[in-house]
This record gives sequence, C-alpha cells and structure tokens, in this order.
Amino acid sequence: MSSLTLPIHTRRLSRSRRLLADLPLSIGISALLAVFIGLVSGRFLENLLVSIMIGTISFTVVNGGRLLFWDRPDWGVREWAPFMALAVVAAPVAHFCGLYLAGLLLGIRTPTLAEYPTVERVSMVLFTLLGTTLMVMLVMNRERIRRVEEEHAQARLRAEIVERQALQSQLRLLQAQIEPHMLFNTLANLQGLIALDPGRASEMLDQLIQYLRATLSVSRSETTTLEQEFGAMQAYLGLMGVRMGERLAYRLELPPELRAARLPTMLLQPLVENAIVHGLEPKVDGGEVVVTAIARSDSLEIEVRDSGLGLGQRPSRRGGGGVGVSTTRERLEVLYGARAAITLSPAEPQGTLARLTLPLRMTA
Amino acid sequence: MTRALIAEDEPILAATLAKTLLGLWPELEIVATAPNGLAAVEQGLALRPDILFLDIRMPGQTGLEAAEELAERWEGPQPFPHIVFVTAFDDYAVEAFERAAVDYVLKPVSSGRLGRTVERLRGLVNAQRAPAVDVAGAESLGQLLGQLQALLPAAVATERLSVVRAAVGNVVRMIPVADVVYFQAVDKYVNVVTAESEALIRMPLKDLLPQLDPAQFRQVSRSMVVNMACVASAGRDELGKVTLNLRGRTDKPRVSPVYAHLFRQM
Repeated sequence: MSSLTLPIHTRRLSRSRRLLADLPLSIGISALLAVFIGLVSGRFLENLLVSIMIGTISFTVVNGGRLLFWDRPDWGVREWAPFMALAVVAAPVAHFCGLYLAGLLLGIRTPTLAEYPTVERVSMVLFTLLGTTLMVMLVMNRERIRRVEEEHAQARLRAEIVERQALQSQLRLLQAQIEPHMLFNTLANLQGLIALDPGRASEMLDQLIQYLRATLSVSRSETTTLEQEFGAMQAYLGLMGVRMGERLAYRLELPPELRAARLPTMLLQPLVENAIVHGLEPKVDGGEVVVTAIARSDSLEIEVRDSGLGLGQRPSRRGGGGVGVSTTRERLEVLYGARAAITLSPAEPQGTLARLTLPLRMTA
Repeated sequence: MTRALIAEDEPILAATLAKTLLGLWPELEIVATAPNGLAAVEQGLALRPDILFLDIRMPGQTGLEAAEELAERWEGPQPFPHIVFVTAFDDYAVEAFERAAVDYVLKPVSSGRLGRTVERLRGLVNAQRAPAVDVAGAESLGQLLGQLQALLPAAVATERLSVVRAAVGNVVRMIPVADVVYFQAVDKYVNVVTAESEALIRMPLKDLLPQLDPAQFRQVSRSMVVNMACVASAGRDELGKVTLNLRGRTDKPRVSPVYAHLFRQM
C-alpha cells in the first residue's frame, strides 16, 4: 500500500501561505473582542481599530512562531510550554505596538511605556494574551479537523483501491477458468456446424451453455455436488469431442451412491482440462481420457487418466502446465490441510494420471 | 488454377474454412487438408501448393514451426507458397502478426475478413504468373518468422551457460561456451563442435538455445546454432543457397533460407 500515490495536496501549502490564510480568522476574532470592549467602555470604532491592530500583530507573531517551531499535530508539554512563553512575551509587545500604530493612524496620543503599569492596562494585556491563545487554538483545531478529513478521504480511497483489486483478481480467476482460446475455437466450430450440420450445432450449443453455466457460477457458490461436477465435465468433453473429432475418446464413471457427494467447486475441471490441453490436444493421434470417482472408507478419490503426451514429453513452448494443478493444490491445503492430496504420475502404458483425494462428505 | 493446402487439426474448422474459401474464390483448388503440423510439411512438399493456410496451434508442431521447416526443405524452381496463419484468440500472436505484417485470419473466420485476404492472395498469385518472380519469397518469410518466434512466448530464459559439461567416456570435459564453433542437433542429443573436437551432450537443442547468449549464438537452421564470432564468410551458390566457412573447421554447414538474411551484406 505504501506505493499508492494519493491525490491530496492540501497539507503541502507553505507556511507563509498558511499564516496568511489564518489572518481573516484573527481579524474576525479581534473584531468580536472589540465589540465586547466597546460594550463595556463605549468609543466603538476607535476600539475596533485598536483591537484589530493588536490582535493581528499578536496573532501573527504567535501563530508564526507556532508554524516555524512547533508545526506538528498532537502537542505535549514540550510544545505547549515554549508556545505559552512566546504568547506571554508577545502579548504586551503586541499591545503596545498595536496601540501605538492605531494612535498614529487616528492621530491620538497613546500611553508611553512608563505609563503602562496600571491595573487597567495590565488587564488589557492579559485580555490580549487570552484572545491570542484562543485564536491560535481555534486555528489549530481547524487544522486538526482538516487533517482528520484528509485521513478519512485517504482511507476511503485506499478502500476503493483494495476493492477494485479484489474485483480484478476475481475477474482474472474467471478469465483463467474459461480460456479465451478454448472459447473462440468452440465458437468457430459452432459457426461451422451451423452450416454443415444444424442438428449437431444445436447439440453443441447446449453443451457450451451447460459448460459456461457450471464454470461461471463458481464465483457464487463454494461447494457443489459430484453429479454437477461430472455433468460439467461431460459437457466440456462433449465440446472437445466435437472439436477434436476422432482424436478424442472419453469416459466418465460416477457410481450412483456418490452423486450427492460434496466437493469444492473447480477442483475437477483443471485436471480434466490439463489432460486435454497438455496431454491429448498436442498429441498427433489423440487418445482417451477417463474420469472416475470411488469412495474409500471416509475419503473420496477422483482419478483423471489420459493416454496423451506424458509429463516429460510436453512441448515447453506451450507453458502453463501445472499452473491449474498448483492452484488446486493450494486450495486443498487451505480447505483440508493434510487430509487432502493431489498427485500426478505417469499412466501405463502412457499418458498421465492425476489423482485427487479428499474427505468424503455427503449432502445432508 | 491456384492450389491451396489447409493445415488445421479440428476437422469441422478445416471443412468450414474450405467451404468459405470456395465460396469466395470458386477457381481455387484445395488440394488437401493436413490434420497436424508434421503432415502440413509433408503434404506441402509433396503437393507444392501456391497458398498455405496454417493453423498456429496444432499437434506435432505449431504452424510457425511447420512454416520454418517447409522453408528449409523447399527446393526447386517453384516459388515458396504464400502463407496465411489462422488462429483463435491469441492476443500475443495477433500482436506479433500485426507487428510483422503477416497475413492472418482469426477464428471464428468472418467471410468479410477472409474476403480481403482472398483479394490480396489473388493479386499476389497473378503477379507471380508474370515473368518477374519474387525470388526472395522464402527469405522474407524467414525474416518474418524470426520476428514471430521472438515475439511468441518461448521457454523461459534460464541462466546463461558459460561452460558445457560433456561426457566423453569416463571423463567429463569442460568446454567453455566461447570455444564452441557450433551446436548441432542429432536426435535428442546435441553435438558440441569446437575447432579441435566434438562431444555429445544429452539435451535437445531447443532446451539449450535459451541458455546461450543470443547476440553471440544464432540459429542458422533448425538443427544448427552457430557461434557468430567463428563465421569467417558466407558463400552463396547460383541457386541462392548459403553456406558458411567457419574458422578452424573444414566442413561448410548450410544456412536455411529462413535464416539467410543474417548473412546478407550490410
């Protein structure tokens, strides 16, 4: 996940831009305080200007210091203590300077430093300190809320990406199940049969539908019955039988008492497809594939035997041999641990024997 | 009369292609249908068609391999057949065809697409009836096949071989790959030939090839891979056959027309 690039840049604003962005808030709060002071002492406009001057200077110094030295979330004593020290120093300075500036602008006399130590002025300095601290805390709170929102947006984005990836892997799974090459070759045969032998074409279409239904429903259910699985394989081998003509013979043997046995979906199919794609299709003379199921005490044994090219004779160019088997093996491991197994061995006199063993479970 | 051979392992598809072709090109004679890659070569050599429709995935050998073998074994004055590859959905193959500008049709075959191919083939066949015959037919095919083979997923390249270990009697000889003049396939063995000696290793040439540096070792025929650093010169006889003179060797191996472009002047 660390490699994800998220399109969120709001926190990348420079410090000076952030300081400017926070200014309107300080002016607003200074104005509010001025209203309060004006209510107490009268002389409203004068107070407003003075208050905004003092507030802006004090806020700029303190907030600027914060952004410069302690620009990080989650403050502890290490941040609060120097910050408050700065505020305590900044408040009287800002009060004096602000008052002086406002005096210049308004053309009135302002108190000199020597006139400062009165109860009234000291309380106004304290008022400035309180107001400044309040402003900075508001700004910090605003930043915190923004940060939380950003984190939420990122989490949402991440969740979306994860969901998309899951969907993609599911689609890949589906694609891997119905090989496009197989599908297009089957459709090509269908197209040909429609002109040559419409009766057989419709039969073949039935088999294709049954095969597609069995294969595409995999994503919806976890287990299936042996009867359904054999039905799907009958359809698949029927399709391949039309395509390969005399080169393919096949036989499926399912004892009636095992029809209701349950097994995970898509276990049998990769084995039968391997027998065809890697065993019989590349063999010039073709051959036979036999699928059987037997119960042995409390386990179910399924065998797929083909008389095609053996394990060592497969052309390397085709590749992919055994990918289906290794996936199947991994799934069995997860589902049953040591109680299930899949083995590939040479068949006599030639070809490959795939044997699948798993615990026998009947439909309740 | 133009004669065509179809190589396709699925009988219904072969019949359908033949039928559609005849509908579009009534004067065409389909001389045979080969059910696999091996039969495609044998029947191609025996029947000498003008046009060859080759399925890519076939038992025995692929359509690409069949075209390569046919080009190597094609003799005589008759021009090499025009090849049209036929394939079902194979994204890599289609991409390869597009890049190499080889004629191909996709299964299921649409008669519109096949019609364009037929038009093109008619033009080519008529042009060939004229006195000026395209002599370099097989050679240009060779170049295309070379590109295609490179684009198709080959056996995964394993580690580069630096020393060949060959058993000679009770001794295992260590032959540095750089000393090898050529490798020659002999059944399931490969004959490792240096300037001084020869030794057999038990490994098909196909499996050995990915372990060799492709810049140094080049295939010059289906059964031979030559160390290009050892090629002194390449000669061409009046029939256009190319043979190699190798440093330290007196034998002069022949180059398949498919690979003759490797030895043309710059």
